[in-house]
Amino acid sequence: MASRTKQKEEARARRLAEEQARAERARRQRRMQMIGGVVLAAIVVVVAAIVISSGSAKKETGLQKAGTQQSNATMASINQLLNGIPQSGNVLGNPKAPVTMTYYGDYECPVCQAFTLQGGFSQLVSNDVRSGKVKVEYRAFCTATCGSPDPGVFNTQQVAGLAAGKQNLFWQYTELFYHEQGTEDSGYVTESYLQGLAKQITALKFATWMSDRNDPTLTAQVGSDQASARQLGVSGTPTLIFAGPKGQAAASEAVPTYAQLESVIKQVT
Amino acid sequence: MSVSDGQRVGVTAVTTNGASSRTSNVDRRLRIAIGVLCLIGIGIAGYLTYTHYAKIKVICGSNGGCETVQSSVYSKLAGLPVAVLGLAGYIGMLFTLFIRNELGRIATFGIALVGFLFSMYLTYREAFTIHAYCYWCLSSATLMTILVILTATRVIRADPITSAPKTVPRAERRRTERRQAARH
Repeated sequence: MASRTKQKEEARARRLAEEQARAERARRQRRMQMIGGVVLAAIVVVVAAIVISSGSAKKETGLQKAGTQQSNATMASINQLLNGIPQSGNVLGNPKAPVTMTYYGDYECPVCQAFTLQGGFSQLVSNDVRSGKVKVEYRAFCTATCGSPDPGVFNTQQVAGLAAGKQNLFWQYTELFYHEQGTEDSGYVTESYLQGLAKQITALKFATWMSDRNDPTLTAQVGSDQASARQLGVSGTPTLIFAGPKGQAAASEAVPTYAQLESVIKQVT
Repeated sequence: MSVSDGQRVGVTAVTTNGASSRTSNVDRRLRIAIGVLCLIGIGIAGYLTYTHYAKIKVICGSNGGCETVQSSVYSKLAGLPVAVLGLAGYIGMLFTLFIRNELGRIATFGIALVGFLFSMYLTYREAFTIHAYCYWCLSSATLMTILVILTATRVIRADPITSAPKTVPRAERRRTERRQAARH
């Protein structure tokens, strides 16, 4: 009798143990499925985030790939304009030139692009700067960039130009920026964009340029450029101030022609 | 024989209780560690969010890479600064720590995993696209790496049966005691 009770107890215990083991197996399986689901969902979320992030990196930009026909043609025209003219940092032309044109600009400013490429600037460089009569000093002043969704990039982009200036190629970089300027407010100025410009300038030592960009004096220079602009009451770009033996004068037009620039030069000489 | 059975039952009970207690202890420690890391993460992401909206310069090391990274296109996702997303992630993880069941543990792990994978992507961009490092971002990525390990450990180590202390009804307990006494 006792033995039968004991057998019953044992059978019950076995049954309970089996049920418990089954329940535990089911729980483990459910848990593994939940973990698998979470891992899968996490991967989907991150892949979607990466696609969005990479997509936003493809901004509207005129950047050309180094070595392509279009890039070579752009660089050839820039070199034709600048070759043979002395450069030192952000200054283009003979350091002893009697007239200095201070050009307050912003690389993302489309009006600066219009002045540099279509206005009187190219002719001024070809004639007066090349002859040693005028030198041009570029100073950074945040206008278009500061109105864009990414104003923080202003310092980075202007420092990129000044770093090229340490190899006396500031004006190649600046001209190229304006040639390949992207759509305003589209946030096209990215690290790859800035590097893409640098790679097109064959004379530029890329590694040196990269390391020069960390030079704190260049950041300070952008800061002091902006401070001097504020002191002078500069409110837009391009602002062109001429200084010569007879004093100072500013160009009143937003995109002055060569003739208009010449008339301002006459006022100061 | 019956004594031996009784001893075995007793030993099993002690072992299970001990394991349960150990599991709960480990879980508690893991929750504390995760909570502390989340608070540090909230500090980092909160600071970066503040500097972004207050338009002030991020305190950075001598290389000044923070500004380059912060001004890059990768610092935003669909127009939202990634620092804000990080802040939301850390707060979310902290919140799920208060959900003391399997779902809570898995939710914490899920958020940590998303944060970890996205941090790895951003670190890759820093190294190979932006060519600049932001120490705040790297610190956050390190936190996310530790958090994904801790939260995964918490999910794996949790015993679904014993993790929640179970109250045995008094009648059931008496029946078991009677049965064991009858065996002796």
